[in-house]
Amino acid sequence: MIIEQTRNALQTLFPEADPGIDLQVQQEDSETTAESSDKQEDTVRTNGVIERDYQVHGYHIDAQVDPEQLLEAVGIVDSLGYFIESITGVDWIKENQLEVVYDFSRYDFDLCRVVIRTRVDRDAPVVPSITSIYAGANWHERETHDFFGIKFEGHPHLIPLLLPEDADFHPLLKDFKA
Amino acid sequence: MSVPVRIQPDETFVLNVGPQHPATHGVLRVKMEMDGEYIVDAETVIGYIHRMHEKMGELKTYPQFYMNLSRMDYLGAMGYSHGHVLLVEKAAGIEVPERAEYIRAITVELNRISSHLFWFGAFVMDLGGFSPLMYALQDREHILDMLERITGSRLTYSYYRFGGLYNDIDDEFIESARRFIPRMRKSLKKYDRLVTGNIIFQKRLIGNAVLTQETCRKYGASSAVARGSGINYDVRKNEPYSVYPEFDFDVPVYNEGDSLARYKVRMAEIEQSLRIIEQGLDKLPGGPIMPKKAPKIIKPPAGDYYQAVETARGNFGIRLVSDGGKNPYRLKLRSPTYSNMHLFDETCKGMLIMDALAFMGSLDLVIPEIDR
Amino acid sequence: MGKTNIPTIEEGVPSSIVQFASLDKLLNVGRANSLWPLTFGIACCAIEMMATGCARFDMSRFGAEVFRPSPRQSDVMIVAGTITKKMMPGIKTLYDQMPEPKWVIALGNCAISGGPFAFEGQYSIILGADQFLPVDIYIPGCPPRPEALLQGIIELEHKLSGWQRWNDPQSKEVPSL
Repeated sequence: MIIEQTRNALQTLFPEADPGIDLQVQQEDSETTAESSDKQEDTVRTNGVIERDYQVHGYHIDAQVDPEQLLEAVGIVDSLGYFIESITGVDWIKENQLEVVYDFSRYDFDLCRVVIRTRVDRDAPVVPSITSIYAGANWHERETHDFFGIKFEGHPHLIPLLLPEDADFHPLLKDFKA
Repeated sequence: MSVPVRIQPDETFVLNVGPQHPATHGVLRVKMEMDGEYIVDAETVIGYIHRMHEKMGELKTYPQFYMNLSRMDYLGAMGYSHGHVLLVEKAAGIEVPERAEYIRAITVELNRISSHLFWFGAFVMDLGGFSPLMYALQDREHILDMLERITGSRLTYSYYRFGGLYNDIDDEFIESARRFIPRMRKSLKKYDRLVTGNIIFQKRLIGNAVLTQETCRKYGASSAVARGSGINYDVRKNEPYSVYPEFDFDVPVYNEGDSLARYKVRMAEIEQSLRIIEQGLDKLPGGPIMPKKAPKIIKPPAGDYYQAVETARGNFGIRLVSDGGKNPYRLKLRSPTYSNMHLFDETCKGMLIMDALAFMGSLDLVIPEIDR
Repeated sequence: MGKTNIPTIEEGVPSSIVQFASLDKLLNVGRANSLWPLTFGIACCAIEMMATGCARFDMSRFGAEVFRPSPRQSDVMIVAGTITKKMMPGIKTLYDQMPEPKWVIALGNCAISGGPFAFEGQYSIILGADQFLPVDIYIPGCPPRPEALLQGIIELEHKLSGWQRWNDPQSKEVPSL
């Protein structure tokens, strides 16, 4: 099964020597109630791979990695033949963090959606660029830079894409005022 | 006394196509570095119709966002609205009556045909043939009439509601849809005779901008762009949603990877959509179109939700990050032509400019959907 | 309306400096019946504009079907869609390139006032074409139906020649020519 294969491959990023992270791997019950998933979101999540219930969330594997591990994680996904769907950001202003979310999916009939997310400090949002692995990440990263001001290190051409060429604002930050 | 023109052998110039250019189908701009008629390098500049849909998604409540989806892609608005309602229904746990799902599938497919017809007309117009546009829009008007009858709008439908539909279909709609199916089949044959065999059309498209499967994967291409390159990928089949598993339809796939393959895929898709509509009308169950207890205020539990649908332009994904409030915390719209257009810069290198414009036409661009 | 930030185009060039009353009238009737719009679609309304020009609605019945992709050959600009801050200089350039006399039709709510995309805190759009262009005809709708655009064309004909295709059933006046 491709889901298991992907999970195990991504799991190698979190070696079992660290027992705290290993506990994060959990099979979610398909009858997860809203309350229990609420609780899960409340606690600050540590890095690791979680298999999600597809019927509830719409994706299978949810991996949170450090920015330094990002290229390695995306490399694993690439080697397993996934295509890139999108890259986006989320502004967690209460935690003073910015999250970058990468979506991957497959062309064949082994349905498996992979979400890779990484969190960076809001004051210095720098994430490595994955354009060297997926050329199609170029525009997605530029768009995320437009909206959130996240800098993608190693991006060949990080100028505004959707906003005017001279734009110096990041409209999807929660503290943005026009 | 005449001065001889000195031609520098490796001199290039920059040609600016757009933002107002008839071949770009809207306000798209491509900066091309040209060596004579050949493109050395190209840079696509988008954002001329960036309408802040994602910002509005955060500022508006869930039902207030209906209208944005249809204005994002005005040619195939139903498919986008379908993704949105499916996502919120999944997140908030709203049950949808079966009849509503069938009507959704029927209207999405009708809209897909109307979108493909418009693309067919515009694409052939790009290649220099004007009359197919007239034929295609004539057929398209029939679909718009049907949809207008039940939705009240010609282009920008906000027909779907969380849990069901705004309006039930009536016998007249069903009858006109049934009448439309043989009419469209006849028209398809006519288009085939009129356009597909045309020698100029064929010469311009065969071998034009061949896309490999690897390029499609690296850029995340979908719709006819991927299916024309031999990738059997259709969200309706790969990731079944709504009532699509109930229908018997094929996914047309061509292996050539050129613009003619993309054209053939779309024309074959019209026939498949007709089959779905036919089956949907046959199987259409009775019953309500809204659940008995549809929640008035939509408040999905906190979490992260994703839904992908196959729209007329490809794999449309929509991601919702909810914090349990009345507004989404973050709403990301993954538009298919954004990824398809991204291919252009790399692929058009070394092509003649007229071939590049034919390639651009074959991508089925709707610019507000790229810029969101 | 809010002309504070954006430089407006002054109508500095009159359509003709020397006026020949009867000849001008005749010319205006000619102009009114052969409007050449600019092929310039921005968003949703452009699709309705194309539908108006195609089979069923057939804009050529009113002499306005010759869509010109070049601003230098056209005399009416149909602003069909949302005007973003990024696009605004381009539209202004297009307008400046059109030869006199020229007219502007604001097609749809976005071109009139920003439409559904005008909200507090918006950062991307211009609230209406009349912020920087002299608009002659406003056609509301989101998007306006093709019939509405035809009506707008007829109104423009009326405006620039005083000539009407048919009597207004409300008024007793006979169309002037």
